Amino acid sequence: MQVFLQTFIGGMSLGAIYALVALGFSLVFRTMGLVNFSHGNVVMIGAYLASTFYLSTKLPFALAMALAIGGTGLIGVIIERVLRPLENKDFDLMLIGTIGFGIVLEAVAIIIWGATGNAVPNPVPTGPLEVLGLRIRTYDLVVLAIATAAAVLLVFFLQSTKRGAAMQAVAMDHEAATAVGIHVGRSNAIAFMLGAGLAALAGGLVGPLLYVNPTMGGALGIKGFAAAILGGFGSIPGAIVGGFAIGVLDAFTAGHFQGYSELVTFLVFTVVIMIRPTGIFGERTVNRA
Amino acid sequence: MKLRVAGIGVLAVLAWLLPYQLDSYLIHVANVVILFAILAIGLGLVMGIAGQINLAQIALFGVASYATAILTTRAGFGFWTAAALAMLIVAAIGLLIGTPALRMQSHYLGIVTLGLALALTNWVTNAHIAGGAEGITGIPAPTLPGIDLRNDYFFYYLELIVFALALAFGLFVVRTPLGRKMRAMRDDSLAAGAVGVEVPQLRMTAFFLASIYGGVAGVLYAGLIRYVAPETFSIANMFLLLAMVIIGGRQSLVGCVVGAVALSLLREVLVDYPTYAQVAYGTIVVLTVVFAPTGLAGLPVRARGLLQRLGWLRRDTGAPPKLGDFRPYDEVERPAEQVILRIDDVSMHFRGLKALQEVTMEITSGEIRGVVGPNGSGKTTLFNVVSGLYRPTSGRVWLGERDLTAARPHTLARAGVARTFQNLRLFPLLTVRENLLVALDQTSVLGSWRYALWQPGVWRHDRALRRQADELLDRFGLTAFADAAPGELPYGTQRRVEIARAMARHPRLLLLDEPAAGLNGEEVRQLSEIVRSIRSTGVTVVLIEHNMGLVMSLCERVTVFASGRVIADGTPAEVARAPQVVEAYLGDSAMSEDVPVATATEATR
Repeated sequence: MQVFLQTFIGGMSLGAIYALVALGFSLVFRTMGLVNFSHGNVVMIGAYLASTFYLSTKLPFALAMALAIGGTGLIGVIIERVLRPLENKDFDLMLIGTIGFGIVLEAVAIIIWGATGNAVPNPVPTGPLEVLGLRIRTYDLVVLAIATAAAVLLVFFLQSTKRGAAMQAVAMDHEAATAVGIHVGRSNAIAFMLGAGLAALAGGLVGPLLYVNPTMGGALGIKGFAAAILGGFGSIPGAIVGGFAIGVLDAFTAGHFQGYSELVTFLVFTVVIMIRPTGIFGERTVNRA
Repeated sequence: MKLRVAGIGVLAVLAWLLPYQLDSYLIHVANVVILFAILAIGLGLVMGIAGQINLAQIALFGVASYATAILTTRAGFGFWTAAALAMLIVAAIGLLIGTPALRMQSHYLGIVTLGLALALTNWVTNAHIAGGAEGITGIPAPTLPGIDLRNDYFFYYLELIVFALALAFGLFVVRTPLGRKMRAMRDDSLAAGAVGVEVPQLRMTAFFLASIYGGVAGVLYAGLIRYVAPETFSIANMFLLLAMVIIGGRQSLVGCVVGAVALSLLREVLVDYPTYAQVAYGTIVVLTVVFAPTGLAGLPVRARGLLQRLGWLRRDTGAPPKLGDFRPYDEVERPAEQVILRIDDVSMHFRGLKALQEVTMEITSGEIRGVVGPNGSGKTTLFNVVSGLYRPTSGRVWLGERDLTAARPHTLARAGVARTFQNLRLFPLLTVRENLLVALDQTSVLGSWRYALWQPGVWRHDRALRRQADELLDRFGLTAFADAAPGELPYGTQRRVEIARAMARHPRLLLLDEPAAGLNGEEVRQLSEIVRSIRSTGVTVVLIEHNMGLVMSLCERVTVFASGRVIADGTPAEVARAPQVVEAYLGDSAMSEDVPVATATEATR
């Protein structure tokens, strides 16, 4: 039981990261129907930006993070603008276009920061807490708190601001949204910017947990994407639940299967998604004839 | 045609003489390029032709080379025995990776295949038998009598022959029934199912083909390099391969090969700057999808269009082709009357929305039945249930004596149900003739073993289908449009193509969903002539129509729907007088509250 709970808690902090990555995926997908396969690479760029500002310019961690979010937000806007001609037309081509961006981002990261990675020291250097015999790292709590705050802010933005409502409208029917005077392109750009910002947040937070390197985007992106699909693609609560599910699954497979954890995680994911392609909170899609 | 044969001949001679110009390093590069070309053909088949996103193609390649390596070094098999077993293994893994395609498509399929590829990488990097991160060295060189395949120059010729066969086979598949069905499925899987294409089996076949190409390349790789390591599987290589296929043009196998060669050469030129090479090909991928989605293969057509726009190249300005007259079918004696379609207490609910409620109706063979009702009254939903697109919430559907409730669309198509669609669902990237050819082919996907063992049979079958297609084109007056893309045709002509496609399967029951929508008066007259002639061959016709003049003149019986229920059934004159019908159409205060709700939901579906 003790071990079970310890593993569970261990999975929660990475789960929160996956949830943030999944939120970015889902936000962009629900608004513009685009699956951003470069999202993982944006996370990686965010991690590099945050760690660079934090380490080399000795800025406070929070400020470094804010700068990183701004930087990736700009990248998001650029990706959206370039791929805009394909929006609502060819799904598969758009997907491949984002893969192209991912390839470029990874190469750019290698050019700027080199092929080897760097470790980021823990910005909250206090010892772990002992609760009921369980060891909880304080940084994990910080990650959970920031992720929760980000999710709450996002939901507030979507539900209670005019801009957010406009994005919801675009998500439901982009033609009808145009008809009532919403600038769909701008709305999509904001969605993409927010998605990239969430990616940077995830990247910045994951820096001290993992090793920051140019290929970290692959695994993070794919697991975040898996989380989004598991929860129900396009659903905000789904992204959060899916993120934690993948994080905890990851922790357990790492405990039981060591090196083979990734194999088991993806097999479980494939089986679950075969049984329920729409995910936990997803809408059942209906054939349109 | 002669030009093309000459071109292929020149290319073949050049490829044969190439090694004489290359030093030992470059011949090695050439050998690797050919392997990428074979892989690209496989990815082009599954992704460009069959429309299944497969991000595990490199993993399949890795499976085959690893299987060869393990079987030769660990189990002591000879190279060719190991290669044959490796092909079996890779085919099995390919089918496994393709299984998710039965349930999901597009980005879902992308992430699942990518995940499974990562799982395989994860396995080889950890498994003791696969040599862990170091990989496996010391794979024995393949042997052929009299030829030393350790020599890269000889290996080049082996690869060249395999490549030529692989490309020829791929092109053969694309141009014959199997490839046509795949392209139809890629363009519109719903319509493909409705004309009898067994979509699930076909998706598996696509993955099977991709795995064969991956397997061939993998085995050759093991024999060429004689060393395998986990990098073989890497996602970076997968994306490189994807870039080759996209840049070359995914819908053309030759384009895929050109893309593979071009990108490999680019990578070779920038071999000292691999990161810049990566920036370059990533950028080209983005530019390609935005500005030239058909890739290098599509450039000649685009260049031609540009020249025509600039006025440098004359457009062929012949008279626009004209729609011919429909040549009526020979009448057959009307068969004995029996119930051909029985819909028994069928309900169809979408969450809260009750699109059909306890609908019961019987249709007798040889009749023309009209189905009318306000928008959103459930008419199209009924068609979707009968043609197998929806599984009804409750109730049963009988076709003759067979219970075909919830059967797959292709099963129903094969049982004799054909349909057209309200919003036209022709396969946009196939020509009109190919649209008909897809429907004419009655053979099962499982018969595709002929492709491996008896190609002349496939060829003869294709020729027979083409003769039938010409006959059908002629009957429907479409000969002048045979090689046009459906999207270029006037709307009324497209409607006629869809009816011809439905008739290609010689159905017993033909469902027409608003066949007169968007037609002018003359076209409506021709339509009613066509429908009468179709019925005279013993085919039962059910049509949904809002054009009351057509319904009244054509149909013997009319069923009226409102809010998902049958509210009247009888001869046109009877139903026109029925008070509940008048109420549904002209409305009273009680009904008019119901109708808009249903309309809104149908519009969003």
